[in-house]
Amino acid sequence: MAAYETIAFDAAKCTGCGDCMSACAQVKTGSFEHASSRIQILPSANDGFELALCRQCGDPGCVSVCPAAALEKDGTTGVVAWDGTKCVNCLLCTVGCTYAGIAFDARAGHVTKCDLCGGDPACVTACSEGALRHVRSARIYSHYGELEDLFVPGLSGCQGCNTELLIRHVLRAVGPETVVAAPPGCIPGMGTVGYNGKTGTKVPVFHPLLTNTASMLAGVRRTYKRKGRDVTALALAGDGGTADVGFQSLSGAAERGEEILYVCVDNEGYMNTGMQRSGCTPYGAWTSTTPVGERSHGKAQEAKNLPLLMMMHRCAYVATASTAFMEDLYEKLAAAIEAAKHGFAYLHIYSPCTSGWRFPSQANIEVARKAVETGFVALWEYTPASGLRFTRSVDDLRPVDEYLEAVGKYRHLDAAQVAHIQAHLKKDLGLLKELSARGAQADPRALAT
Amino acid sequence: MSALPQARPQHVVCDGNEAAAWGVVLSRPDMVAVYPITPQTSLVEALAQFAADGVLDAEMVAAEGEHSVLSVLQGACLAGARTYTATSGPGLAFMFEPYIRTPGLRLPMVMSLVTRDTLSPQCVWGGHQDAMSVREIGWIQMYCETVQEILDTVIMAFKIAEHRDVMLPVNVCHDGNYLSFGVCRVDLPESSGVDAFLGQPDTNWHVALDPDRPMGVDPLTGGGGGPGPALFARYRKGQCRGMQNALGVIEDVHRGFRARFGRGHAPLIEEYRLDDAEYAIVTIGSMTGAAKDAVDEARRLGQRAGLIKVKTYRPFPLQAMAQAIAKVKAVGVVDRSVSFGWNCGPLHQDVLGTLATLPQRVAAVSFIGGLAGADLTPAHFARALQTTAQALAGAPPLAPVWLNEDDR
Repeated sequence: MAAYETIAFDAAKCTGCGDCMSACAQVKTGSFEHASSRIQILPSANDGFELALCRQCGDPGCVSVCPAAALEKDGTTGVVAWDGTKCVNCLLCTVGCTYAGIAFDARAGHVTKCDLCGGDPACVTACSEGALRHVRSARIYSHYGELEDLFVPGLSGCQGCNTELLIRHVLRAVGPETVVAAPPGCIPGMGTVGYNGKTGTKVPVFHPLLTNTASMLAGVRRTYKRKGRDVTALALAGDGGTADVGFQSLSGAAERGEEILYVCVDNEGYMNTGMQRSGCTPYGAWTSTTPVGERSHGKAQEAKNLPLLMMMHRCAYVATASTAFMEDLYEKLAAAIEAAKHGFAYLHIYSPCTSGWRFPSQANIEVARKAVETGFVALWEYTPASGLRFTRSVDDLRPVDEYLEAVGKYRHLDAAQVAHIQAHLKKDLGLLKELSARGAQADPRALAT
Repeated sequence: MSALPQARPQHVVCDGNEAAAWGVVLSRPDMVAVYPITPQTSLVEALAQFAADGVLDAEMVAAEGEHSVLSVLQGACLAGARTYTATSGPGLAFMFEPYIRTPGLRLPMVMSLVTRDTLSPQCVWGGHQDAMSVREIGWIQMYCETVQEILDTVIMAFKIAEHRDVMLPVNVCHDGNYLSFGVCRVDLPESSGVDAFLGQPDTNWHVALDPDRPMGVDPLTGGGGGPGPALFARYRKGQCRGMQNALGVIEDVHRGFRARFGRGHAPLIEEYRLDDAEYAIVTIGSMTGAAKDAVDEARRLGQRAGLIKVKTYRPFPLQAMAQAIAKVKAVGVVDRSVSFGWNCGPLHQDVLGTLATLPQRVAAVSFIGGLAGADLTPAHFARALQTTAQALAGAPPLAPVWLNEDDR
């Protein structure tokens, strides 16, 4: 399984000091000449800086244009490697790369490029501002790749749906000593539970009712605990069955501290049955039961803040996550798996719906990312011991319009509705910030007084 | 498993709810999930105390409502647990969604149904309207007459439910108020005897949520093409077969209980002074005691009156009922509930269905009484007997006779 690592650049933090270039040149050539550095920080058009560096692409343009097979993506390390013994100095690669990640070095007499210093890039170490970050998320993908995929190939989700990604990765992490509950919705609709005697899952899986996922799992978990067997009780549920009709059983199980790993895949409505509203559908959103017409303009009410409600139950672990931030998601998944051994763990994963939200199927991750970058979705985690903690800063957010414009179900919004959403976000984030500031003292209920 | 206390008395004086709880203790379930509701509450309290005292070694789940009660037990049962719960009226209504699913999953659960009339009018008292409203769902229903029968039937119910030819959930119905709170001396069978009688729990050999035997439980089944329609029909037919098998199993289990513990109850239908009877009343549940007194009184006056009591209502013991009814020329059926739309009681409908299998004509009268805790006294049954006797000669009344409508 090919690893994939890269160096990420945060332009907002870059001061243009050049330490990264000095470090690179020093490590690679022994000089401090910036011209010999394989990372180049250049002034950008808007008074800031931008990066010219190899991204170690998954499908590298330099490799495909090289006529001499001198460039190759290493199947083990993921690094795009240059082989001087094959290079014919045609420089086609410098044109093939869109990132200026490979360039001719006059002193060396051939092209040079970043090789990630064998896994410990000198430039990242040298950057005192935190503008450069060595991203190893692909290492996690590799690790996950080694774990058994517990769903069959070819689930029948909609094109571009990220739920298949979610369920495969969650199950890989949880492992085979698991019983999976998939209440009616997209997840069993993809064939996980199955049809007419056939199933799509390699571990025990069942359809609870839309209403009783947490209760049925409580019975499973407690029975195995009584028998001395450590079996994970895992819910893969949609937001409708979680926030609306299944909320009583969820709340009861959380209050009793049932040892369940409950993953709510929030696509903001009943998408499997044709996009009806749920308690998690946001204000202003079009759904088939909050249509846009002369007298109504999408959903008139705010969404229920489900993860916050679960935090109010003082669950062993509560977190929000997004498929655009997989590293964050994996860390939370690991924490949730651990917490579910002694209490109720609740993971709320925002999952844009290509079909129901009306955006192109290739834009799923982009939409998910914009939701986080605009603060429409905040990433945080909670434990009773340490309280609420943001896992991604909610300062310096982008305006919410950028997110709303990417999603067709908000196409009809007028300026007043957008302003309403922006104001509401501010209020919601304010509450989360207040909780986060309380840290370990956070008794969520104290807020009411 | 913790043993029952050594100094356990052989007899206790208790009400029907506590008797049911003793039956649960002796049956050693792995999990009990409950939510309190009148008139079942003292049953739940007794179980909680037994668990607190270590007399009952079961996983106790005090769930947040009846819907979850049954859901927790479904999960437990699929993981191999022997399970028990109890409910009443509105609680049954609230658990309807998982309740209607349990027989199709073929989960051998036992649930005491402390019968209660349904809303509205708002009421908290006994009646059979709750149990009768779910008579076609696929749960086995057995109605108890006495406090002792409650204890014994709870134990027997586990053996019936878990029988491999049955694999269906059982409701042990006992009347709210009259049986739930009626206090009697009750004999407790030896716990070792009950252990031997029931054997180990055997609940998920056919369908399981077990990582050692991974399977998809209850995938979508049916639809208009492919293997779906035939598969669905096969499941439904199997369920019907289990229900019919239960009639024989219930008889066997009652016979086995009598042989082991020296005490028994009629398994399906009880005939009382019927062999030379001209007419009979049909009863169900705790009303039967007062009805038997009324039959005795009629006999003393020279009337050839008899009684047919229904213990097992679902599956309906058609053959036993036909044999009993064939002995008389008129029957009066006393229901503690109403079948809306038929203008009679539900048991009366079943009797009408039974009559259609007989070559001779038998007159039938519907009586409705004992609703919402109303008392059915020997005087009410004397009236029912008299009306039934009159039906021998002339045409029976087409509308039901409401036994309590003139109570003061």
